[in-house]
Amino acid sequence: MTAEPLAAYAVVGEVLADLEISAAWLVDPMSGREGAADIVVRAGIVETVTWLDGDDTGAAGQGGIIVAPGFIDLHAHFREPGNEDAETIASGSAAAAHGGFTTVCLMPNTTPPLDEPGVLARVQAAATASGSPVRVLAYGCVSAGRAGEQLAAIGELADAGVVGFSDDGSPTRSAAVLRSALEYAGALGLPIVEHTEDLAMTEGAEANEGLVATMLGLRGWPASAEASAVGRALAILAEVVREVPGPRLHLTHLSTRSALELVRRARATGLPVTCDVTPHHLALTDAWIAGSRSWAWEDGDERAAAPFDASLRVNPPLRTPDDAAACLEALLDGTACAIATDHAPHTSVDKHVEFGQAVNGISGIETALGVVLAAVDAGRLPLRRAIEALTTGPAGVLGARLGRAVGIVEGETAELVVFDRADRWTVSSEALASKGKNSPLIGRELPGRVLVTVAQGRVAYLAE
Amino acid sequence: MTADEIRRATVRISHEIVEKQAGTKGLALVGIQRRGVPLARRVAEAIREHEAVDLPVGALDITFYRDDLSVIAQQPVVKGTDLPFDLNGRTIVLVDDVLYTGRTIRAAMDALVDFGRPQAIRLAVLVDRGHRELPIRADHVGKNVPTSREEVVRVHLAEIDGEDGVEIERAATESTLAGRAG
Amino acid sequence: MTAPVSERGPAPVQPIVPTVDEAPGLSPVPWSHRHLLDVDILTWDEIELVLRTADAMREVLARPIPRVPALRGRSVTILFYEASTRTRVSFEVAAKNLSADVVNISSASSSVAKGESLVDTVRTVEALGADMLVLRHPVSGAPHLAAEVFGGSVLNGGDGWHAHPTQALLDLYTMRQRLGSLAGRKVVILGDVLHSRVARSNVWSLTAAGADLWLCGPAPLLRGFGAWGPAAGFTVTTSIDEALHDADAVMALRIQRERMAAGLLPSLREYAARYGLTRERLALARPDALVLHPGPMNEGVEIAADVAAGAQSAITEQVRNGVAIRMALLYLLAGVTR
Repeated sequence: MTAEPLAAYAVVGEVLADLEISAAWLVDPMSGREGAADIVVRAGIVETVTWLDGDDTGAAGQGGIIVAPGFIDLHAHFREPGNEDAETIASGSAAAAHGGFTTVCLMPNTTPPLDEPGVLARVQAAATASGSPVRVLAYGCVSAGRAGEQLAAIGELADAGVVGFSDDGSPTRSAAVLRSALEYAGALGLPIVEHTEDLAMTEGAEANEGLVATMLGLRGWPASAEASAVGRALAILAEVVREVPGPRLHLTHLSTRSALELVRRARATGLPVTCDVTPHHLALTDAWIAGSRSWAWEDGDERAAAPFDASLRVNPPLRTPDDAAACLEALLDGTACAIATDHAPHTSVDKHVEFGQAVNGISGIETALGVVLAAVDAGRLPLRRAIEALTTGPAGVLGARLGRAVGIVEGETAELVVFDRADRWTVSSEALASKGKNSPLIGRELPGRVLVTVAQGRVAYLAE
Repeated sequence: MTADEIRRATVRISHEIVEKQAGTKGLALVGIQRRGVPLARRVAEAIREHEAVDLPVGALDITFYRDDLSVIAQQPVVKGTDLPFDLNGRTIVLVDDVLYTGRTIRAAMDALVDFGRPQAIRLAVLVDRGHRELPIRADHVGKNVPTSREEVVRVHLAEIDGEDGVEIERAATESTLAGRAG
Repeated sequence: MTAPVSERGPAPVQPIVPTVDEAPGLSPVPWSHRHLLDVDILTWDEIELVLRTADAMREVLARPIPRVPALRGRSVTILFYEASTRTRVSFEVAAKNLSADVVNISSASSSVAKGESLVDTVRTVEALGADMLVLRHPVSGAPHLAAEVFGGSVLNGGDGWHAHPTQALLDLYTMRQRLGSLAGRKVVILGDVLHSRVARSNVWSLTAAGADLWLCGPAPLLRGFGAWGPAAGFTVTTSIDEALHDADAVMALRIQRERMAAGLLPSLREYAARYGLTRERLALARPDALVLHPGPMNEGVEIAADVAAGAQSAITEQVRNGVAIRMALLYLLAGVTR
């Protein structure tokens, strides 16, 4: 059953959206409901949502138009202020909308870092100036200057409106600072988002420590560098919990089975810890550095592409197929509540170099949906779970700071994404709205084309 | 050419070589890889039979001297060079199966002068098929076989192909032409 | 005529003349590689082609004038980002013997020291007319980046820890000269395997040759290879006695001072005592076992001076064969370049 063509009458960004969507497959994790529906949006408000009973079989959901709440990215880098060659808030917002994201949480490793309200004001001003309706939220630094020695102005930043705190790019260098931050931010009701990496073990590391790194002569990045840092964070959280009522720890871009298992067990004991995984960690593997181009769940040609593609160098590194499977398992059993992109755009000056010289990072906010749909198409992840991980899951981490409910509800401002699951698009430099062309998926065809993204009632992206 | 014709031509060439030199003094035969080598040996054998003299025989691979590398899609197979005698002052008779554009012979002469300074270089070929691109001529020819450029002359020798014979084929592919050039 | 290096037992070394009486029906092996970046992309037939072509090059090297015009008019640029005299000169001699024009750039003297990127340097080299680029670089995978932007052929002269294809091929060539077929022969690579591109490339070529390959060294310098061994078919051990027992060939790898600083080894003295290839240790191998070393050597550390100079040492042949192998590869690659 095909949905009728949708009619949209608004110019991107400026005008309130008017949409009529007939017989699309609506996935609404908040209500727990999924099925064929008609949706009408008028002047940016969801006017009617009419569920079409009698066609609740999976057939319509197998292909065709899908409507979901606008995606929320818990982890992205828009490089402004300080590295606008790589990305600006404007270009990043355009990229987010192209990827179906209506809310993005920016990491504070800018120049200057977001460790005091003045920098947040710059970010917010840039977001307003961009004209994009995508909601740009930000984390504040945990430590002043991300140096890991002293706490940043956590209280002031909380008042100014950050949604949490992180030293991402790096772990919080001092365990004592991490502990204080969990206590302090916990009392304010905000999470600490921790990049879990034991820096002493990863110095100079280039690729996941394993067979691929051995064969390619790349310095290994041991899995234990992640597990040990996760262990440290969980141990600290376990103590803080006894003293402060509301600490929250969110571990971002976990990539190894061992680390995810630690989180699973910690959650089973009731610790307030959550985590996310990235699309590239659940679908790509270190074999891609050797030239493979098979998804993690496929067997494939060893050398489909030239080896040592620097767009594959990322922190944490791409891991083994078993680790990728662990990421999917974590999503399935709720250990991981969210998929976050860790969108990390870089200039070609920084990326089109020898593998060992390249900076870490994958530009991934526009390809996230396609990668996730590939997993869904392969039967590795149910569609509803994928949408949850992109919407209600992240919303749970942000809590009240998100400022709105995540759903498609009559009478509420429209915040949704419409994509055609049956359509495919080829990733190319031209097709990417981000300034960051450092994607290992360039040249690859991905499933799922975003047709419309509506944020705060306005059209953020409209496909040609 | 039939096997008998090849045999007679070889014997005649062997006589001509001796005649031109007014004897066998200073002579040496150098076969050009690949089929020039067994031919050179046959000529030497014939000369031994009617002159009772063993002439030195060498083999020359001109693969590294070809000027048509850009034409060939892949590097030709190297076959090996062996010149177990001193070239200086000798009269070298180059021996090849087919004379065509002359480029192989030019390459062979380039190679020879890297090994020493012969007093003279002569050329004996089993088949001259015309279409010279360089000012090169054979001193001794087994048979003149006028051909067109689309044709391919195939020489078979028992030492390599199991039997003797010369055939002309039509409609060669470009790579075959390149392989047969000179 | 003497038979080619392929299927013979041990023989004394002599300037071998390649066969002129080729067996009928030997079909040519097409060579379609525009670059040579690693050994693992070569089929065994292709490796054999390289070795046969090297035979012909050795014959050229034995001539009074060791030169052929095969690469006349081609320009070869040798771009070395790591200090190395022997390999750089070996490539230069190889290219000149083929009558190529050679430009030799070592990083100390070039704009590289000023921070020009590899991509820009390669583009500049190409704009200056280079048809072929020989690259040695301290970062694994650098030649692959060069191959992406260079219009001609790239020949990897050694990249980081990853690969040194010309070394592996000349090692294979040298071993076959002395030992004949390597199928089933016990070959030992001894030393700092972890940081060795020579070891990695030899793993590919020797397992392809069917050798019984052993890697031996102190445990921190074998890291990661224990997992690779079973998959690829080689044995990993820290016991030098076990490794050398009845070996047909031993390749000693250079041990570097930096390994101590990185906390991987206690001291050079301890390494020499436990893993140095001395006359006594060599006696554990077969009486005619071959000794190899990619150079440069730390005599008294990984290899005793008398072993390096002894009758079983094939180290000087490695150097001679290096020129022949590099000539063969430049010749084969030139056939594919524009």
